[in-house]
Amino acid sequence: MTAPVSLFELRNVCLRRAPRDVLFDCSFTLSRFVHTAVLGRSGCGKSTILRVLAGLEAPTDGTVFVDGMLASAAGRIVIAPNERRIAMVFQDLGLWPGLDVMDNVRMGLEASGLPRQERRRRAMAALDLCGVGELAQRLPGTLSGGEQQRVALARALAAEPAVLFLDEPFAGLDLATKADLLRDVKNLVSARGLTVCLVTHDPTEAFALCTHAAIVEEGRVAQHGPWRELMSDPHSAILRAFRARYETTAASAD
Amino acid sequence: MVSVMFLEQPGRWRVITTGALLALIALPVLPLGWAAVDVPTAEVGQAFWQGLATSARIAVVGAVLGLAIGLPVGVGTALAPFPGRRVLLAAIGLPLVAPSFLWAIGWSTLAAHHAIAQAFTTGVSGCVLIAATTTTALVVFASYAATLELSRSQIDAALLSGSEGAVLRRACRNAVLPAGFAAVLGGVMTLSDPGAGQILGAHTAAAEIMTAFAVRYDIALAATQCLILAAIVAAIALPLAWIAGPRLAEAVLARQLAPPPRRGRSTTSLMVASMASMYVLLIVAPPIVGLFVPLVRGGGSGSIGVPALGPAADDHLELVLLGALATAARTALNTMIYAAGAAALAVLVGSAIALAVGRNSSLRTWAMTVGIVVFSWPSFAGALGVARVATAAPSLLDVLLRSRFTVCAVLASHFVPVATAFALRAAGTIAPSWTYAAAIHGVTLPRYLRMVLWPAVRPSVSLAFALVALLASADAGSVLLLHPPGEASLPLAIFTVMANAPEVAVASLCLIYLLVTVAILAAVVGLGVEHET
Repeated sequence: MTAPVSLFELRNVCLRRAPRDVLFDCSFTLSRFVHTAVLGRSGCGKSTILRVLAGLEAPTDGTVFVDGMLASAAGRIVIAPNERRIAMVFQDLGLWPGLDVMDNVRMGLEASGLPRQERRRRAMAALDLCGVGELAQRLPGTLSGGEQQRVALARALAAEPAVLFLDEPFAGLDLATKADLLRDVKNLVSARGLTVCLVTHDPTEAFALCTHAAIVEEGRVAQHGPWRELMSDPHSAILRAFRARYETTAASAD
Repeated sequence: MVSVMFLEQPGRWRVITTGALLALIALPVLPLGWAAVDVPTAEVGQAFWQGLATSARIAVVGAVLGLAIGLPVGVGTALAPFPGRRVLLAAIGLPLVAPSFLWAIGWSTLAAHHAIAQAFTTGVSGCVLIAATTTTALVVFASYAATLELSRSQIDAALLSGSEGAVLRRACRNAVLPAGFAAVLGGVMTLSDPGAGQILGAHTAAAEIMTAFAVRYDIALAATQCLILAAIVAAIALPLAWIAGPRLAEAVLARQLAPPPRRGRSTTSLMVASMASMYVLLIVAPPIVGLFVPLVRGGGSGSIGVPALGPAADDHLELVLLGALATAARTALNTMIYAAGAAALAVLVGSAIALAVGRNSSLRTWAMTVGIVVFSWPSFAGALGVARVATAAPSLLDVLLRSRFTVCAVLASHFVPVATAFALRAAGTIAPSWTYAAAIHGVTLPRYLRMVLWPAVRPSVSLAFALVALLASADAGSVLLLHPPGEASLPLAIFTVMANAPEVAVASLCLIYLLVTVAILAAVVGLGVEHET
């Protein structure tokens, strides 16, 4: 087995944004083929970390490396988001409401340079893979929450990225739909050998999908590593609470 | 190639661009400052100062009346459903989009034929009536919008704590601030309105300015008077806008709340329906009826404000009507060009302001504040400023300073705030994630604008275009000052002939104008319904 190779790296990243600073001296590595959860309370800066990694926001201080190359530095984006081989599913999904499902996915392949027919074929394949092929002609506003999630996932996967960023995509879904989606996402990303970075405040989601986690507290990465290590020595309140619940559930099951 | 990300990125360019665009819309008014150098304040004239006092009286009484009538009607209409609600709202809004002189002409002709109307439709009381009509419309819409902002849970909570009366009281308390603000804005706009005073024989400040440039051709005096009026209006509107600006900037953003539940048919809905219908029947409809009176009675020999001396011969009436139709046909193209040109420019600049403001809340507040002040200024202030420059500029610049484009540009500068409010609201419906997704997938800026943004903002832009076109088409002062020879608009034609032409001719022209306005307003209401759907 080969050791994980660093794919994305934040080095001493700070982000100051009025009226308060968002990130302080954040250092964090996203390894190739590893599924990592960025876990923390609401407003702690975890989504901002994802945006900085994606190149949607430039850090005020510090650097971001992608595949060992400088991608962002203080106040500037060196490698544009579409050149980082990433795809992202947003919390509000970011589906373009005026375009039907097929066009949403097809337009996501805009930069691929593929011929029109091939783009269409690939979009349809991604929609079928996510189980929403029959909704291709519908507008996003006419779909249920779960169906919209699947369309957003299809748009992300159709681009054949190396890394998939998931920014709390399961928030607001009922338990059954969330469980179905988590299972499907896990199967899809494993089958495609994708690196995953999931932002969430729910340790259960993080635990279900990811093997590693980074715990963010007040704009800092407080702990980072495989789940086993984190759970054996939880520093943060969120991990301690999760471990306590996990142990209680396990004890009840016994 | 510019990336789509620039749409979401903060930066100094936003402040600079927003500042430059806001300065641009105030630019035509700036030359009025020269006037103060040419004509000392002492020479402005006693009549103007007296007119100012009269205007203030009209504005205050109009605002109070508008608030008293508009608040319950606006809140009640939003809360209680009744058949024909939209039609009644459109009828209440009609005085906002048709020029005030048209209503004054309507009341004036009615008063000439019916003694009952004479007592309260002439002089200052007539002006108060017309000011209250405009202000009521503003207050109704402000209260209506404020009540629609209440969430379903807020309404349910009020209902649990009392009866329907409690809901109405809670909704009125919520709407009283925006309604009060709308009433003051209506009052301030009344200060700048020359139409009613000129026709109904009240010496208002704006009517004095109009007389200075339209009758005495003294641009310098008119510019000085206009500068004084603009300064007074700005002194009232600026602090008001500064206080209300943040709330308006917040309110202008679209809500994602569940709409308030429409209460079933009840005593409240019956009362509201009766009140709104009575208002339309007693205040909005009579001047329209007044415009029909000369046609029915054949009052061909009298002019506006003077009763007809006797019935005109049928053939004379026919000739007058044909003449009115010919005038309308002659001026139709120019009216459309001025309206559409001003609307296109206003929407363009308004959209650019919204784009520059982005998600910066303090810039949004600034845009709303400056917009309110500019919109409160007399509509002809910009035209007077440009005319002031034109009088000093060499004649070869007339092509630039007295052209159709100049008319459109000056009208647009006055109505940009309306387009900006719509554009800011439309921009508020755009999620940042749309742009982020486009950036990650490498969607080009032109394609993103065409495929994603344009479909999202199209309804708002269309509404803003139609509304600005309506408002701009109603203007006579700016067109009078800046139009090239022989290129008058329909309102200007009415304004020019109303003192001398037979009553029936003026009334016919007014009715033609009103008919077109109602048709466009119906289309706007239709667009609004489609947008809501």
